[in-house]
Amino acid sequence: MNIEYFKIALRNLRARSLRSWLTILGIVIGIFLVVSLLSLSEGLRESVMRELRMMGGDMVMVFPGDASDMMTTMIGGMELKDRDIDAIKRARGVETVVEMPFEGSTVRHEQSTETSLIYGVDFERALPILRDDMGWDVTKGELPRPGRREIMVGALVPQDVFPNMRPGDTVTVRGRSFTVSGILRSLGNRQDDLAIALDLQDFREVTGRREGTPLAMARIEPGYDVSEVVKNIEESLAESAIRRADEEEASFSVMSSDTVTEMVDSIMGTIQLAVVAFASIAILVGGIGIMNTMYTSVKERTKEIGILKAVGAKRKDIISIFLFESGIIGIIGGIGGVFLGVLLAVSVETYFSEAHPVFYLEAHISIWLILFGLLFSFFVGCLSGFFPARQASKMQPVDSLRYE
Amino acid sequence: MKDSIINLKEVWKIYELGKISLEVLKSVSLKIEKGDFAIILGPSGSGKSTLLNIVSCLDVPTSGKIFMEGEDVSGLSEDELARVRGKKIGFVFQQFNLLSHLSALENVVLPTVFQGTPREEAEKRAKELLSSVGLGERMKHRPAELSGGEKQRVAISRALINNPSIIVADEPTGNVDSKTGKNIMEILKNLNEKEGRTVIVVTHDTELQKFANKVVKIKDGEIEK
Repeated sequence: MNIEYFKIALRNLRARSLRSWLTILGIVIGIFLVVSLLSLSEGLRESVMRELRMMGGDMVMVFPGDASDMMTTMIGGMELKDRDIDAIKRARGVETVVEMPFEGSTVRHEQSTETSLIYGVDFERALPILRDDMGWDVTKGELPRPGRREIMVGALVPQDVFPNMRPGDTVTVRGRSFTVSGILRSLGNRQDDLAIALDLQDFREVTGRREGTPLAMARIEPGYDVSEVVKNIEESLAESAIRRADEEEASFSVMSSDTVTEMVDSIMGTIQLAVVAFASIAILVGGIGIMNTMYTSVKERTKEIGILKAVGAKRKDIISIFLFESGIIGIIGGIGGVFLGVLLAVSVETYFSEAHPVFYLEAHISIWLILFGLLFSFFVGCLSGFFPARQASKMQPVDSLRYE
Repeated sequence: MKDSIINLKEVWKIYELGKISLEVLKSVSLKIEKGDFAIILGPSGSGKSTLLNIVSCLDVPTSGKIFMEGEDVSGLSEDELARVRGKKIGFVFQQFNLLSHLSALENVVLPTVFQGTPREEAEKRAKELLSSVGLGERMKHRPAELSGGEKQRVAISRALINNPSIIVADEPTGNVDSKTGKNIMEILKNLNEKEGRTVIVVTHDTELQKFANKVVKIKDGEIEK
């Protein structure tokens, strides 16, 4: 490698700076898309997975609807009814069923009113399970007790939503007063840490929703096999549906924590693959831009190539100079793209953490992704420059010198 | 007896233009001795530039042999010819052929890049050469900021940077006024007499004959006896 070729290449690029920058922009856009979208989707995957990992291996999740069409379930507001919960309870091997309905609601503390995610948990039956199986604990105060209009708030509530909130404070949810019993330890997920837990009965009363939950969790009795209990729950739900033959056939998804983890992993993998595919198209277009610029450059600089050859440049020297030029375009595009991509990912994360109380999105910026962005852009630059460079190197000195 | 530095034996150059064969050089044999100041003289279209291109390894003959300092260069590959040009030959062109985005100094240093000469050493020598042709104060200027005569002196400095034994000049006075032209020729003459370099100049200007010790007249692709 010759530093002089690098300097020559840099000077050539500077001599045509507008065109060079426009070409660089093509690569910036592609790398920017890869870095920002992959950082965000990987962040999303990590935060979902972290939460799933906190769930014990003896838990089974039940959703209404088909798991392969989860969006319909979520957006369509499908819920498990009380009769479905009963059916789950009846299944062999099920120890306890935990319902966890949630809703956005205005909450008042002292002088301030904010919108928060509130959810209902049966403090008597479900809280011990959450404590034992999912690691719930309080950092201040105590776990709430049923029947005393107590609530428990997420770890970030006293920081971000109601500053200086302490156990013992009074909070009003839709006109009803509650006492804060404790501050929950972080659940590793901002969305959960900003939520407020009410006793299931209080939740029903406050929201006016008599029954229904978008999600239920069942704990397996010791000694039972997870997959066996999953099957039992499915059968029990199906039987209950048959008994109500006059109604539409309901479908449910029953999954062990491992299955959910696998499924989320596979969905996120698909999303990331799609992201990479689209961003690759952008990079390809950028590469074609480099090739176009380099071919134009070779044509324009025919005479210059002749001069270089006359004064002793060999074919590999010419190839090196042109490859350096396209490689520099690639790597600068890569640096710009990585910089903007990281900037966007961090901005999105900051925006959601500050401005959006309910939905949380974190960015996972890995050093490997950054290195990949830089190396790949350099590679695309070199690859796109190779054919123009080879064409330049093949020019005959006499013909090139004559070119005007 | 002087050694022959360039020896052409029955060199032909034929261009195939569709169905027509254009014989630009017809069995040219020519010897140039070490230390010669040779002028190749001929009207336009006589084949003199083609002859110079072949003598200076920029082009290859259709048939015939070329020996340079005893080495047969007629069968060399493109890269080997580039090596010969880089080490043994310095070029001065009618159009100067300087790179417009480089300063005078950078233009002079350019040929050393392909020889792997250390940058510091190359710059030191380039500065000496530019000073010796009176351009010590103009080194940072780009070609567009220099006069025709100054450009040609930069080109001569560039031709000398790799210390070649042969200087070839294609109509070096063609783009400058007669006074500057004379000055350019004197510089070349000086390189020939004081430094013992072989100089080959192609021109149609018969006035330049007086600088040469050898005059080769070419017409219709043949050397006139």
